[in-house]
Amino acid sequence: MSDTAIKTRSLSGQLIGGVLLAEMLCAALFAAVAIGHEMHGRRRSFDVMLRGRADSLMGAVQDAEDPEDNVTVDPTELVLPAQDVYEVMSPNGRVLGNSPGSSADQLAALTSSHTPGYFNFRAGRVHYRAVRFDGVRVIDREEHGGIRRIVTVVYASPTHDMWQEAVVAEWFYIVASILLLAVTALALVWFLRRRLSPLQELAELAGRVTTRSWEFLPPAAVLRTAELAPIALSMEELLKGLQQAFERQRQLTGDAAHELKTSITVLKSSLQLLSMAPRTVEQYEAGLEGLLQDTVRMEELVNRMLTLARLEEAPVDECATCNLQMVVRSIKERLQPLAELKQVLLMPACDDEPRFVAFSPVDADVLCSNLIVNALQNSSPYGRLWADVQAHGDMTHLRVEDQGEGIPEAALPHVFERFYRADRSRSRASGGAGLGLSISKAIVERAGGTIEIQSTLGRGTTVTVTLPAVPTPTRRASDMTAQSRTSSGD
Amino acid sequence: MRVLIVEDEARIAGNIAEALRQRCGYAVDCAENGQDGAAMTEFKHYDLLLLDLMLPGMDGLSIVRQVRRRKDMTPILILTARDQPAQVVELLNAGADDYLTKPFDLGELLARAKALIRRGKGAPHPELSVGRISLNTVEQTVRCAGELIDLSPTEYRLLEYLIFRPRAIVSAQELLEHLYDYNWQHHSNVIEAHISNLRKKLRAVGEETTIATLRGRGYRLEAPEQQA
Repeated sequence: MSDTAIKTRSLSGQLIGGVLLAEMLCAALFAAVAIGHEMHGRRRSFDVMLRGRADSLMGAVQDAEDPEDNVTVDPTELVLPAQDVYEVMSPNGRVLGNSPGSSADQLAALTSSHTPGYFNFRAGRVHYRAVRFDGVRVIDREEHGGIRRIVTVVYASPTHDMWQEAVVAEWFYIVASILLLAVTALALVWFLRRRLSPLQELAELAGRVTTRSWEFLPPAAVLRTAELAPIALSMEELLKGLQQAFERQRQLTGDAAHELKTSITVLKSSLQLLSMAPRTVEQYEAGLEGLLQDTVRMEELVNRMLTLARLEEAPVDECATCNLQMVVRSIKERLQPLAELKQVLLMPACDDEPRFVAFSPVDADVLCSNLIVNALQNSSPYGRLWADVQAHGDMTHLRVEDQGEGIPEAALPHVFERFYRADRSRSRASGGAGLGLSISKAIVERAGGTIEIQSTLGRGTTVTVTLPAVPTPTRRASDMTAQSRTSSGD
Repeated sequence: MRVLIVEDEARIAGNIAEALRQRCGYAVDCAENGQDGAAMTEFKHYDLLLLDLMLPGMDGLSIVRQVRRRKDMTPILILTARDQPAQVVELLNAGADDYLTKPFDLGELLARAKALIRRGKGAPHPELSVGRISLNTVEQTVRCAGELIDLSPTEYRLLEYLIFRPRAIVSAQELLEHLYDYNWQHHSNVIEAHISNLRKKLRAVGEETTIATLRGRGYRLEAPEQQA
């Protein structure tokens, strides 16, 4: 809101403006058509009136009672509007009579046209419409059976009144249109405000969402609006996903804090117990031994947490490859003493073909040792343990199978969750922090693979890692494999 | 006094148990998971329950609810690594008496444990007395009219247990249950032997307060002033 750099445009404002403009155009067009129609009718009646007045002027043509037996016009006998201009002429051009109040200019303009019919002209600032025709006037019908006289009549009347009258006649329509326009504008504003309220509601609702309160339940009015429903639903979906991600993060931070606090509690209480009373040298030595073990466990926990953080944040090394077969073999050799201690039989690999996958040597080592150490710790004495790398088509499978007591079915969906322990007391005793499988999963997914776990209580557990096979690498990559052999050997 | 610790982290449980045994002279039992812990509370042998909040099997809060539903008044001290106020409120409302956040101070834990046991038995002050005898639970010493009486740890524990309930009959079975943990080999006459020694030591300093044996019913700490 404070950012005034972006000029906001109101959707409802634009809609109202658009509709009103269209309405205004309609009203103007309507008025123009109405006035045009009115004008047409008036012009026709004007013409009829003009002809009527001209005819009555014609009727005023009479014998001049002079020797040439001429005719004349006596306008004084007629009642004609004072502003009208007219002239009566004989065929030879002689003026028989004209409007008494007219000026010479008006008369000159009147007689400028010589074609019979209606025409318009201007004299000074006044517009006129005129009619010119030749008529036959029969004079002295009683005396000699009538004398036929041909006269030309030109008659004009000013038209400004006609325009004024037309506008006055249409006035009602124009006022009605303007009123209608105002009423529809108000109605439109009200209607749009009302109809656009779901949009405002949606914006308000979205504004209330924070990282603390994720509640976003679109109201029914929004969901009923065809244009808004997809926006609201996708927002709801998005926020749900974000909330879950936030919750996971919060859970993880809480779990990490819990683990660290527990480790510190062990150290602190051990130290305080040791210093509570004077002890013998043997007691101090035993206490220090315990403290050292606690510190090693804490170091392990921190290392694993950092590994997980690195896996989640560091970019994937695109060209990393290593021979998984070799990594598994070297880890099995390294873990042979532990296997003997736990009386577990490490089974030899089925084949020894090099199988390359897109792991960095460090990641491959962490993954394989995690899985194999896990299997070793879960194995029952005299059990067998398989760790094989095999190819199926263009996929490489790593299978680690033990004959241990298995994992309860209820715990299986959670084993990849961070800090999850199916049996906490036992895992704690074996030094696990519930991060091994989470780390394994992160490594596998970074390389575009999948990890699955199957377990039967009392029978054993099988972890299967499926990875896209990488073609036998170039010289550079084989150098890296050699490197992995040395790094996993130490 | 006998304390139950329910804590899945064995090192923490071991350290607390050791401190309670050495510094307070309590008998201590440990449970590694919620179910075992909840089952052990049912014997009502304990004078204090120390519960971790996050436990495998059954969490501390559920154990608190279960104990209180039985109308068991045993004081409960909760250990938690998470200290959100809402959670603390929920815990206390469910019937827990106190809580400590990890990493805690072992000395503070011992002091709180003692205070809870004391208040659970209706004694607000750490010093208790009957007749001329006064027993200091902090120093773990017993004096008769200001004069220190030298008692063995077991004799002190016996007297401490009895002095919280003067004039009440306490059975030998109850004494066995509250003064020894599960690892101890029970001998039925051990209590009688310790009581007898305690009587002798009290008589030696001229104290008239004594522990009466009520055949087949138990023992009673009797102060002479009542009759006088």
